[in-house]
Amino acid sequence: MLVQALKEIQDRCGYLTHDEMHSLSKRTGVPLHRIHEVASFYPLYRLEPAKGASIKVCRDMACHIHGAPEITQGLENLSRELGPGKIEVCGVSCLGQCDATVAALINDHHVYRGMDLKSLSELARKAAANEELPHQHLDNSTLPFQINPYQSGEPYEAVKQFVAGGMDHAALLKKMEVSVLRGMGGAGFPTFRKWSAVKGAPGNVKYIVCNADESEPGTFKDRELMRRAPYLVIEGMVLAALITGAEKGYLYIRHEYIDEVKVLKEALITAAGLGVIGKNVLGTGKKFMLELFISPGGYVQGEESALLEAIEDKRGEPRNKPPFPVFEGLFGKPTVINNVETLSWIPGIALNGGEWYRDKGIRGATGMRIVSISGDVQKPGVYEVPFGQTVKELIFDTAGGMLQGHTLKAIATSGPSGGFLPAKVPVEKLPPKFVQDKVPAGVKLYDILELPLDLNTVGQMGGMLGAAFIVYDDRRDMLDNALNCVSFYRNESCGKCVPCRTGSQKLVDIITNLMEGKSGRKELGLINELGETMGITSICGLGQVASNPITSLLKFFPEEVENYLKQV
Amino acid sequence: MNVAEELFPMVVDGRVVELDRIASDLLKAPPIKITIDGKEVEIARATLSKNPITGELKPKLTTILDAAQKAGVFIPILCHREHMEPVAVCRFCAVDIGARTLVAACHRPVEEGMKVSTGATSDKVKNSVKILTELLLVDNEVPRVVNREYGDNELRTIAKKLGMDPHASRFPKNPNDRGTDDSSMIISVDHNACILCDRCVRACNEVRHNEVLGRMNKGFKSRISFDLNDPMGNSSCVSCGECMASCPTGALTNKKLVGSNLVAEPGALPVSLDDLFTHELFKGISKPFMEWNQGSVIRRKFKQGEIICNEGESGSTAFIIEEGVVDVFLKSPLNHIKNTQSSGFLGLIKKFTTTLSTASRDEEKKARYISIDAPVSLNTSNPIAQLTKEDVLFGEMTCMNNYPRSATVRAKTDVSLLEIRRNVLYILQRNKESKAILDGVYNKRSISTHLRSIPLFAEQFTNDKDFEQFVDLVREKANLVRLNPGDVLFRQGDAEDNFYLVRIGFVKIWLKQPGGDHVINYTGPGGMVGEIALMGHLAELKGKLLAQGRTASATALDHVDLVSISGQDFKLILENFPKIREKMVAIALERLTEIQRQVTKVESTNLNDFLKQGLMEARSLLVLDLEKCTRCDECTKACSDTHQGVTRLVREGLRFENFLVASSCRSCLDPYCMVGCPVDAIHRGKKREMTIENWCIGCGKCAQNCPYGNINMQPFETNEKIDDITRPGYKVAVVQQKATMCDLCESVDGQPSCVYACPHDAAHRMSGAELIKKVESVKN
Repeated sequence: MLVQALKEIQDRCGYLTHDEMHSLSKRTGVPLHRIHEVASFYPLYRLEPAKGASIKVCRDMACHIHGAPEITQGLENLSRELGPGKIEVCGVSCLGQCDATVAALINDHHVYRGMDLKSLSELARKAAANEELPHQHLDNSTLPFQINPYQSGEPYEAVKQFVAGGMDHAALLKKMEVSVLRGMGGAGFPTFRKWSAVKGAPGNVKYIVCNADESEPGTFKDRELMRRAPYLVIEGMVLAALITGAEKGYLYIRHEYIDEVKVLKEALITAAGLGVIGKNVLGTGKKFMLELFISPGGYVQGEESALLEAIEDKRGEPRNKPPFPVFEGLFGKPTVINNVETLSWIPGIALNGGEWYRDKGIRGATGMRIVSISGDVQKPGVYEVPFGQTVKELIFDTAGGMLQGHTLKAIATSGPSGGFLPAKVPVEKLPPKFVQDKVPAGVKLYDILELPLDLNTVGQMGGMLGAAFIVYDDRRDMLDNALNCVSFYRNESCGKCVPCRTGSQKLVDIITNLMEGKSGRKELGLINELGETMGITSICGLGQVASNPITSLLKFFPEEVENYLKQV
Repeated sequence: MNVAEELFPMVVDGRVVELDRIASDLLKAPPIKITIDGKEVEIARATLSKNPITGELKPKLTTILDAAQKAGVFIPILCHREHMEPVAVCRFCAVDIGARTLVAACHRPVEEGMKVSTGATSDKVKNSVKILTELLLVDNEVPRVVNREYGDNELRTIAKKLGMDPHASRFPKNPNDRGTDDSSMIISVDHNACILCDRCVRACNEVRHNEVLGRMNKGFKSRISFDLNDPMGNSSCVSCGECMASCPTGALTNKKLVGSNLVAEPGALPVSLDDLFTHELFKGISKPFMEWNQGSVIRRKFKQGEIICNEGESGSTAFIIEEGVVDVFLKSPLNHIKNTQSSGFLGLIKKFTTTLSTASRDEEKKARYISIDAPVSLNTSNPIAQLTKEDVLFGEMTCMNNYPRSATVRAKTDVSLLEIRRNVLYILQRNKESKAILDGVYNKRSISTHLRSIPLFAEQFTNDKDFEQFVDLVREKANLVRLNPGDVLFRQGDAEDNFYLVRIGFVKIWLKQPGGDHVINYTGPGGMVGEIALMGHLAELKGKLLAQGRTASATALDHVDLVSISGQDFKLILENFPKIREKMVAIALERLTEIQRQVTKVESTNLNDFLKQGLMEARSLLVLDLEKCTRCDECTKACSDTHQGVTRLVREGLRFENFLVASSCRSCLDPYCMVGCPVDAIHRGKKREMTIENWCIGCGKCAQNCPYGNINMQPFETNEKIDDITRPGYKVAVVQQKATMCDLCESVDGQPSCVYACPHDAAHRMSGAELIKKVESVKN
């Protein structure tokens, strides 16, 4: 309620005025400090009036290497040229449009992709003159992937069959178990286990929450799933509700997904019309109310317990675990939280069986995934690929290969979280078990193109496999990119725990010093020590992985740092 | 976020931990065994824990920390307190239980067979805690400020305990000043020392339920804040001191008031805390707070006839009456200053003499009460009153706002008093229980004398019975409202709600105008605020109001106590007491005319001129050219010769480039001289001239306030002789300090003696326009 009430004030007044917050406090009995805690936490809210039209330029990963800093600089010059009060230029964390760089957000309401300085300046001038801004529409055609069993024919067949078949919980859970469907966030917790835990948890009140807060730099696959097959995620949530007995669900979506919000709103109305959601789901007597919750912003909201805190009108700070959400989740009740893609695979699995999904994997891996590819490749975009596909196949077959005249320098297999891997990895830097199992004898430099992308293999190698795959070619300064990624974590840290709040800031300071030639070799050791500490003491995944971009760089790209050390 | 989304269940490797059981179920569970650093401990799964404040018992899961304490194993603790819910944000208590990451011992419940390693046995843990300590230490180098009371810096203590140098860190220091907040009278906030451990936040909200403190912003920009990030002193903070007592690093410290410790003063008797807490008034105050402030309360005993304080003296304390009766009175005779022109026989310098006279001025009001800094007002015809234990307290205004003592207080019987400093009074006024007592006293004891001291009311009643009836009616409706300096009572255009009577402090009434805020008046003790907007319904005022709602804005200048009466009740009073209504209407019309006049004036002047308006309007400024001036002081001497040996000219004033302006009272648009008069003796006359009432006690506050140095204190020896209060049986000639103002010798011959006397041609008279020309020419 608070989150929406503040949004309402901002829509009405342009920003959150003192008087409005006072009257909100009087009206609702929520203490002032609580209102301010929330209002000052989320990036969506303004505590001061905007100084002109707001132009936010994406500053992360693919946009960063494709000119975002120069564009931002150019717009700042434009702002000076236009004079005060016309446009307000600032950076913004990844907008999830990495397949068409550079992305920008104007007046918090219009997302533009594929921008250069010229096109964005034109839009900025329009915005400064209060002219109507064009809306850039995305491809709304039906998603042609195997995940979508409804490319022809009516959606919601899976839930209809489930109901018609007498709602055999065990059968569906079995299918899920057989499918080996794991969470598509990256860590891959078996989905059926989550559902079973919530199903078995005591109490009548349970919740289904869909994490559609896709905010990890380089990740934009849920965007396509929601816009081009919104019924899949809804159906997945309905099935989760019918299995667990939850009567209320929240689809938590980032506010910058403006088109997707619109599509989902319509899809929810359609679903309600079909009786798939509502007070009596398909005549079963089961109730499932599904609410679209638009996030007030922030990457850390993607951490499941932080997301729950936001729905509970609190600062979106991750909780200490245990307890885990499956036992004490939303409002302290057992809660299923799944990613959009995870839920979207459920209808297919329900209709076609667990083997259908499981057997899609290659090279011994199971299942398929939707991957977002961005950076220095010919065809950045969203693709459906089997687990077990190699880096080579992904870059050269799926994404069209490297850009003309350039060679591969580094990849990031999980956005900034997993750090960077070089084109060739000296075997002594790889875990012995991995070398023994996966690297042919006698090889001194492991070719990263040979790496099969599945959770187990990448994990065994000491890396992470997420939905974001970013490619860097030979032009890229990797220390600069490590700073870019670490700054992202610094900017997005919620500030709750010391290692993440302070550590991420110190990392940025140390790397900045390094790039300015002010740090020596001694600081490199400190980075590793700090990184280790952040990794094992931070409350949530954000702080735990925040140092990966720089520690992986020190490990795999010592020469990139050496250039800067020589400056001293 | 992808990675974090499902990272956590993996921590337990799919093992379903018994988390669905709530602590109460586990109270009955058999004890379990866990190992910490190789030591086996048997411990209950859950215990009943007692809230130290409320005494409430609550089942609590046993944590690794509890087990470690039982086993006598040291785990550093920074953000956790036994009586608070663990938040595990500092991570200093990180221990290794063999999971992928370390866990927080203060938060993680024990499980059967758990094997825990602390920093003593695990290098991983030891190094991590060391890094965390360094991270915080580097930005915690806060110098100790002399007048603040710090607790132990727990961060440094932990560093020492871990064998680290508490002043060394390998990390780069945050170069930004994160700011300080000194707006609270008793608690100082230094964000540079804050490590965001959340202890103050929980102290304020969970322990005390005051709901003031929170965290604002996000990530590395996070910090603690009060209400809507208001300055602490302007927030709804009740100054319970719990946050300060909870702070581990000195980010929230007790501000020791500058000045001597009361305990060190002669005659001061120490009061033990146990003794203090037997007082009703102190029962609700937090113990840690009083521990921090031991020197701020002392006991004083006076024998019958001894003077407790003298009017006009400066002071910074208030007195709580424990025992006995005191007399409160004015020893200054109620005399006027009278200027009489004497025909100088030399004919060159005409003198005019200034004497004191008991004769009333023409416009002198009839019977009048003098509001003083006590729960009583003094009657001009017999300015003496008694106070007892029932009145609780006197000297609040001096204590809160540093005003001079408004009256002399003498022990009528042997008395025992508690003398308290401002920080203690501040907290008494904010604590719910003591506030109820103080407000109760006001309602029972002082409201009638307060109402009496307001001429508007007092003058309308000829018989006491009617007056009592009126007081009874108002008493029921009155509420006390307290404002901090700078608080806005209402804004121009706001919907009208209440009517206010000023009890303590000063309220600035101002209009927002092009060119800046425009002060209409300062309303001090005995004054009233906010009546106009509530009278719009009266026929007499129809169409006279400038706009809907409040006509002007009202802001507290210092610590202000107001009596608030709701608009509805105010209207009821007007209906039931026609005489008051009549008088109110007259006052409102007068004020509206004044506002109208000022508004029109402002509207007709252009902005640039407006800024200089004070000077532009002046007809005859006394300007000293400081380039020519040798500081020979002849002007001062001449002034002194002219005015009975007392100079009214001080070579201080408003400067423009090298010109110093000393002008006669200009009846400023912003009559700041009125602010702080402890007996409400300086007023604006009908023609907007400033007048000083005959009960001026000569404290000099107005002279201090006048920005132009136009008010001077002059001692006058009167012809009267009175009993010497300090030496019973003796008589002394009355030497009376009274405030006077320079009048440019207008009454002499239009040639001020200072100008005439200047041997260097440095003193001139000129109009404001001429001065501006001169200033501009110097500038160019």
